[in-house]
Amino acid sequence: MPTETDIITGDRKTDRGFQTPEVWAKITGKAIYGIDLKLPGMLYGKILRSPHPHARIMGVDLEQARRMPGVRAALAGDELSCKPFGMVYKDELPLAIDRVRYIGDEVAAVAAIDEKIALKALEAINVDYELLPAVFDTEEAMAPGAPQLHDQHPGNLAWQRELTRGNPEAAFKTADLVVEGSFSVPQVHAAYLEPICCVADYDPYGGLTLHTAVQSPDIVRELVADVLDLPVSKVRIIGPVMGGGFGGRVYGNLKVYIISSLLAIRCGRPVRMQLTRQEEFIAGRPMIAAKIRAKLALNQDGTILARAVDLITDNGAYSAQAPWVSKTLSERNDSVYRIPNIRTTVRLVCTNKVPTGQYRAYGNQVGNFAMESLLDMAAKKLGLDPLELRLKNCVKKGEVTVHGLRINSCALSDCLQAAADEIGWHKRKPGRGYGISAAIHAGGSLVFDKNMRGASAYARLEYDGRVTLFSGEQDYGQGTHATFILIAARALGIEPDQIIIYSRDTLTSPFSIGALAMRQTTIGGKAIQLAAEKLREKIAQTAAEMLGEPVVMEGGRVRSATGKTLELSEIAADYRFQTSGLSITGEGKYVPSESAYDDTGYGNIAVAYSFAAHTAEVEVDRETGEVKIIRIVAAHDSGRILNLISARGQVYGGVTQGLGYSCQEGYLFDGGRVLNDSLADYRIPTALDVPDIMPIFIEQDDPEGPFGAKGLGEIVMVPVLGAVANAVADALGIRVTDLPITAERVYQAIVEWECEQ
Amino acid sequence: MSYQVVSNLEQVLSALKNRGENSRIIAGGTDLFLEKLPEKLLDISALAEALVIEERGGTMLIGAAVTHARAVASPLLAKKVKALTEACAQVGSPQVRNLGTLGGNVINAAPAADAAVALAALGAKAELIHYSGNTRTVEIEELYAGFNCSAIDSCQELLLRFVVNSSDSGSGSAFARLAARKSLALPLANAAAWLRVEHNCLQEVRLVVAPVKPAPTRLFKTESLLVGRPLIAESWREAAGAAMDEVEVRGSLLRCSADYRRHLIGVLVGRVLETAAGRALTAKGEA
Ligand SMILES: Cc1cc2nc3c(=O)[nH]c(=O)nc-3n(C[C@H](O)[C@H](O)[C@H](O)COP(=O)(O)OP(=O)(O)OC[C@H]3O[C@@H](n4cnc5c(N)ncnc54)[C@H](O)[C@@H]3O)c2cc1C
Repeated sequence: MPTETDIITGDRKTDRGFQTPEVWAKITGKAIYGIDLKLPGMLYGKILRSPHPHARIMGVDLEQARRMPGVRAALAGDELSCKPFGMVYKDELPLAIDRVRYIGDEVAAVAAIDEKIALKALEAINVDYELLPAVFDTEEAMAPGAPQLHDQHPGNLAWQRELTRGNPEAAFKTADLVVEGSFSVPQVHAAYLEPICCVADYDPYGGLTLHTAVQSPDIVRELVADVLDLPVSKVRIIGPVMGGGFGGRVYGNLKVYIISSLLAIRCGRPVRMQLTRQEEFIAGRPMIAAKIRAKLALNQDGTILARAVDLITDNGAYSAQAPWVSKTLSERNDSVYRIPNIRTTVRLVCTNKVPTGQYRAYGNQVGNFAMESLLDMAAKKLGLDPLELRLKNCVKKGEVTVHGLRINSCALSDCLQAAADEIGWHKRKPGRGYGISAAIHAGGSLVFDKNMRGASAYARLEYDGRVTLFSGEQDYGQGTHATFILIAARALGIEPDQIIIYSRDTLTSPFSIGALAMRQTTIGGKAIQLAAEKLREKIAQTAAEMLGEPVVMEGGRVRSATGKTLELSEIAADYRFQTSGLSITGEGKYVPSESAYDDTGYGNIAVAYSFAAHTAEVEVDRETGEVKIIRIVAAHDSGRILNLISARGQVYGGVTQGLGYSCQEGYLFDGGRVLNDSLADYRIPTALDVPDIMPIFIEQDDPEGPFGAKGLGEIVMVPVLGAVANAVADALGIRVTDLPITAERVYQAIVEWECEQ
Repeated sequence: MSYQVVSNLEQVLSALKNRGENSRIIAGGTDLFLEKLPEKLLDISALAEALVIEERGGTMLIGAAVTHARAVASPLLAKKVKALTEACAQVGSPQVRNLGTLGGNVINAAPAADAAVALAALGAKAELIHYSGNTRTVEIEELYAGFNCSAIDSCQELLLRFVVNSSDSGSGSAFARLAARKSLALPLANAAAWLRVEHNCLQEVRLVVAPVKPAPTRLFKTESLLVGRPLIAESWREAAGAAMDEVEVRGSLLRCSADYRRHLIGVLVGRVLETAAGRALTAKGEA
C-alpha cells in the first residue's frame, strides 16, 4: 500500500460528519413530502390505463364519467393537441390516441373532488378496443412478421450500435484462451418508497406550477412547457422533500406531470395526482432488461486481449432513456481494465411491455455482472487468482482507456487490494465462497449535453452575516446539500451551521441538468466552491473599501493589516446601505473544457472517474440453493471524501440495492402482465436482509474535483452484482448466469450441472 | 364503526351474542386489516383467558391471543414445544410478530401459515367457545374449510387456546421454512415434525408440511414408514424421498415451480426430522 494513501475504515472519529437539519425533520416525521401536499380547492386526478398489451383504440366514451357528480374533468387523447415527447425519441403522447402498446398505457384521465369519485369515474369510461397481436420477447420481436410497435422503429429496433476498436478479430484468433458466456438480467425498479406524486396548479397570469420532487426539475420544466406549448418562464417546479429517487426519478413520471397539468388547466383548480404502487410497477420506468452474450480473449499469463459483446436490451413499449442506458451498459465496463480490442453490438428492441428508463448506475451494474463473471471464468481456466488477474489488467492513473476516457486519478489497484485484504481473500473460511469485482463510473458527463457540461451556483451574504447558497442540484436523501455546505464552509472559512442551501424552486435556483451521471459533488460541488470563493473575494473587497486598507477574511470575520476587525453582518449592512438594498453575492460557474468526442463515441466523457472494488463472502446451501450473504467489503476511490457520514450512507444503501439486484429483485411477467406489481411480491431487501457492509475509502486527491473529491452515488451499486455472482460460483463450483440468483435458480443450476456430469 | 376491547370471557360471549352478524373478533389485526373491515370489531388482545402460557398436569395451554413475539420469548415454550417457537420466530417481520397472534394465524387459514404448521405437528387441539356457551375441542386441521377459508365463524365463536400434550418423555420437535427473503415473505415451503424416541428408534412421528392442501398437511404415509426406524441419516433421507412422493404441490410463476417446491419439502422434512430426533435424545438424557 502506498504510504500517502489514507484509508478510512470502520468508525474512525472524524470532523466530516455533517448533516443538514432536514435529516432531523425526516427522522421526527415532520418533513413535508410530495404526498403530504394539499392546496385549497385541490382536485384528485386518476388515469385510466390500457388492460391490453396491444390494441387499437376505436373510441373513448367519456360522457357518463363527465356527468357524474363531483367529476370536474375527463380527458382522452383525441381531444388534446399536445406534441409527442420523449427524452430520446418523441414516441409518447400524454394520452394514447389510436393505439395502446402495453398493459398500463395511459388512455384517459379524470379529475374529481375526491379520489373515490375519481376512481368511480374511471369505471364509467367506456373504451372500445380492437385487439392487436402483441410481442413480449425481444428475439421474437426482431423476427420477420412480428407485430410492429412504432413506425419509426422498423423491425422493432429502437436503437442499435456496432462498434469496433482495435482489431478484435485478430486478437480472438491468436489468443491462448477465449471464454464465452450468456447472461440475462430482468427489469428492475428503483422502488423509491414515496410513489411519484404531483400537484399541478395553473392560473392564466402566473402560469403553471408543479409541486413535485424530481431529480432534474429544469429538464422536466422545459419538456412540460414544450408539450403544453407554454413559455418556459410560465412553468415553475417547486420540489417538496423527495422520498427517494435512486435515478428512477431523474425525470420522474412525465405522464403524471403532463396529465395533471392538463387537468389543472382544464379545471382551473389544483390537481393532485399520485401513482399507486401498482402503477409505479406497471407504468413506471424501470431499468431495462438485458440479454448479454460476451467473449473474452486472454493470454496464458492473464493479459486481456479483447472483448466482444452482443447485447440485446428490452426497450418495452416506449423508449424513455433506454438507448442511453443500453450504451452505458454495453461499454462502460470496457474501461475498468486495459482491453485493447473491442467489438460490441447492441440492439434495443421494442416489446409490448412496460417502458423502461433508468436506475442508479445506468446499466453499468448489469454489464459488471456479465463482465466480472467472465473474468472469473477465465481465471479458473488459466489457474490464476481472480485478484491477481484483476490487478494485472486494471486501469491506472495517467492512462487513456479504449474508449478514450482520460484517467487523471485512479486508485483502483489499491481498492482491489484493500477489499481483498479486508474480506480475508488469502485466509478463506472453509465452506464459504468469495468473489471480487471492480468498476469505473463517470463522474459528471461532458457529452450528455455538450453545451451543458458544468454547473453554476450563487452564494449570498445575508444581512445577519449568514450565507445562503442557491443551487439547482437536488438533494433527495443522498446528502448532497450537506456536502455542498461543507464545501462552502471551507471556501469561506466559516462554520457549516452558518450556511443554508436552497435548490427546490426553478424560479430561484440556477439551471442544472439534474441529479444524474454522478455529477453532483464533482461538478455541482465545484460550482459551489467557486461561488463561495467569489463571495469571499467580494466580502473582502467591500471590507477593504470600508476600512480603507487591505484585509483578510478568517474565522468568520474580516481583519485589516492594522488589526481592525469587521463582522460579516457589519459588511453586509454597509453594502445594503450603499446599494439601497442589495446583498453581496458570489456567482460560481464551473465550465469544464469541451471534449473531443467523435461519432464512434470515442473521447473523454467526464471530468473525473471514480473507481471501486467490492468483495463478497457468501454461504450457499447446496440442498435448498439458498444464498446467504455474510459480508460485503466496498473499497472506493472517490477522491477526497468530503462528508464521511453521507459517503458511508451511500455505500450502505447502494450495496443493499445491489444485493437486491443480485439475489432478489426483478420483474416477473405473464405475457405482458407484470406479476409482481406490489412491494409484497417485488422483493427489495428488508432491513433484516442487509448483511455486514464495510466501506473503505482510499483517498487520493483528484486534480479537478472540489477539494480533490469525485462522485460516489452511483458506483456504490456497480461491483456488487459481479462480486456476489463470483462468490456464489466460488462456493458452488457452478455458475449462475441469470439474475436474480434466487435459491431456485441455484438449485436449477446444480441440477443441470449434475445432469451434465 | 365500533371497536370494543374486551377483557374477560363473559364480555366476549355477550358481545358476540348481542351484536349480531357483522361483529367480528380481532386479535393482532395483521390479516384482518388487509381486508375490508367489518362494522363492529371485538378486540381480544387483552383477554386474560386467551393470553395464558402454562403447563398444567402434562398439558401445555397456549392462549390464542398470544403474539408470535411473546411465544418466541417464552422459555417454557422453547423447552416444551420448540417447533412452535421456531415457527413463530419466522412469521412476517418483527412488527408483524409483535401484533400477530397464534389464533389469528390459524383462523386466517393461509395454507402455509407457520405457527399453524407447527401446532399441527405438535398435535395441538383448539378449544373453542360459542357465544351460546358451548365449548368444543378440535384438531387444527378441522379448523379449515378451504384455501384461505376457515371453518370457524369469528362472529360467533371464539378460539380460546391451544392444548398440547407435553407429558411424553423422549419427544422432540422442530420447524423449518424457506422464504425469498428474511422478513415479509411467505414461505415457499415449510415443515414441522414431532416425534418420540424409544431405544434409539422412532416410536411415534407427526410430520406436517405446507403449502400443499388448504390446511397444514400431515404426511401419514411417510410417518408410518418412519415408525420403528433408527435415528440415522439413512432414515431422514428416505423420509425426504417418501415425502416428495406423498405430496402433490402446485407451482406459480410468482413464487416457485412445483418441482422446486417438492424438492424443498423433501429437504425440509429431512432436516426437521433430524433436528427433532436430536432434541428427543437430549430430552431423554435430561429426564
Ligand atoms: C406483511 C405480513 C407478513 C406476514 N407474514 C406471515 C408469515 O410469514 N407467516 C405466517 O404464518 N403469517 C404471516 N402473516 C399473516 C399474519 O400476520 C398471521 O397469520 C397472524 O398470526 C395473524 O394473527 P392476527 O392476530 O393478526 O389476526 P387478525 O388479523 O386479528 O385475525 C385474523 C382472522 O382470525 C380471526 N380471529 C383472530 N383471533 C381469533 C380468535 N381468537 N377466535 C376467533 N377468530 C379469531 C379474525 O376474525 C380474522 O378473521 C403475515 C401478515 C402480514 C401482514
